[in-house]
Amino acid sequence: MNETSMLAYEENPEKVERADLVVGLPSHNDAAHIAHPTTQADRGLLDYFGDKSSVIINCDNHSEDGTKEAFFQTPTEIPKIYLSTPPGTVGRGYNLRNLTAKAVELQAQAVIVIEADVKSITSLWIKNLGEPIFAGFGFVAPLYVRHKYDGAVANGIVYPLTRSLYGRRVRQPLGGDFAFAANLAETYLNHPSWNDRVGQFGIDIWMTTLAICQGSPICQSFVGRPKIYQNKGSIVPSDPAFSQVVGTLLELMIHFEDFWERVKWSKPTAIYGFGMGEVETPTPVEISQDDLHQSFVQGFAQYQELWETFLENNIYNKLGEIRELPLAHFSFPSEIWARILYSYSVAYKNQSVEQEALLQSLVVLFVGKTLSFVRKTERMSSQQAEEYIENECMIFEEAKPYLLSKWGKG
Amino acid sequence: MAKILVVDDEEHIRLLYSEELKEEGYDVITAEGGHLLLERIEQDKPDLVVLDIKMVDYNGLDLLQDIRNKFYDLPVILSTAYDTFKEDMKSIAADFYVVKSFDLTELKKKIMMALEASNGS
Repeated sequence: MNETSMLAYEENPEKVERADLVVGLPSHNDAAHIAHPTTQADRGLLDYFGDKSSVIINCDNHSEDGTKEAFFQTPTEIPKIYLSTPPGTVGRGYNLRNLTAKAVELQAQAVIVIEADVKSITSLWIKNLGEPIFAGFGFVAPLYVRHKYDGAVANGIVYPLTRSLYGRRVRQPLGGDFAFAANLAETYLNHPSWNDRVGQFGIDIWMTTLAICQGSPICQSFVGRPKIYQNKGSIVPSDPAFSQVVGTLLELMIHFEDFWERVKWSKPTAIYGFGMGEVETPTPVEISQDDLHQSFVQGFAQYQELWETFLENNIYNKLGEIRELPLAHFSFPSEIWARILYSYSVAYKNQSVEQEALLQSLVVLFVGKTLSFVRKTERMSSQQAEEYIENECMIFEEAKPYLLSKWGKG
Repeated sequence: MAKILVVDDEEHIRLLYSEELKEEGYDVITAEGGHLLLERIEQDKPDLVVLDIKMVDYNGLDLLQDIRNKFYDLPVILSTAYDTFKEDMKSIAADFYVVKSFDLTELKKKIMMALEASNGS
């Protein structure tokens, strides 16, 4: 086992020693939810991968709510394995690391990851995430139908930044449900950029970025149904999830600077999984513009001195103007947002500001940017909002020379 | 010199694109439709494809899928008279899209960007 493995416990009642295909369900206190994805994984594996040996693995954080029992009590024809981190070690990334190590041990050709609390999964998700791997792709990211306000961190930070940096348009880089091939599994286990943030919520962007930077052929697979999950939180993720995701993104920029400095513009990926019939409408995400505005204004006072230390004067002054805008006229220009994120990445690299404080201060600006997005797209359809995001991504790509000059590469 | 394959079932579009893009210094080849398109790409090895969406016998979005699956990194620019195609998620497999026009400024810009993206990867 790899030295950074966090595996403390394994239960393999059917003594599975080899499997072509692994479906992993990372969990933490998901006893009430895990039966449904387990059942769908079983059906999907039987219906679409009946010619392959398969196993369903629950990779857990030593849940104390009976997740393991709920998993094993779900009737399946496919054998099941339970893995757990030690008590007190919590993190989606640690779960996926244990899953990946087990998949390598089983000599699996493909690993499909499904969130244990996803309500809307059907067996087709297994087909659409798994088939591209057997067709030669190395990494399969999901394409969900999502409400325009769902996935705010992906829409406002991770997608535009990843796309402009690494040159691949992976629309849901934090999707949570994805698949990867055996060669990437080895990369994931041995890559030196692993750290504690990755071991928690940084894992998804870490895996997506490594796949891109390894030159692995990437496919985005349309799973059809909107993503509906149980633990639906606020549009702005609570700390420390935000810091773990964005901190990982900025840390990877340092690691892969030789890669992204060569990238100009972005390219699409292959797409898989159309023709799945009528697409359902996603559940609306309720937003309080007043709350976002209040949060932005209050946070501004707390962090403006910090921003002054590393933002260029024109950007800092523009922030001051944005701060004075009343809600009815609130707008956060994308050109400024792109330069702010690029400035944050440079400050993070140079450690000109303590990194955790830096990440905390970004939450406030992200709230402001999210408010601006909500206001600009409130009368738009999801399709129109999607085009708006695409245009924002082009602004990030056009502003990349600013990053190169600030980073010291211009 | 980059080689561009223009796929369109309208002859005047093929002629227009061909003349203007040759003036920009590109090597341009054309195809009337999707018949044997993958074989044509295999044989002629273009650096970029400009692909019409609504052709008489072929749907450009389906052809785009076929191209992307076989030639993963080959830049494809969708060329269309309508922008309703964006409702079909298959369109996101294209590098760019342009609305057909006699002014090819936008198409030329997108060709340059797509070729730069390919060269940078």
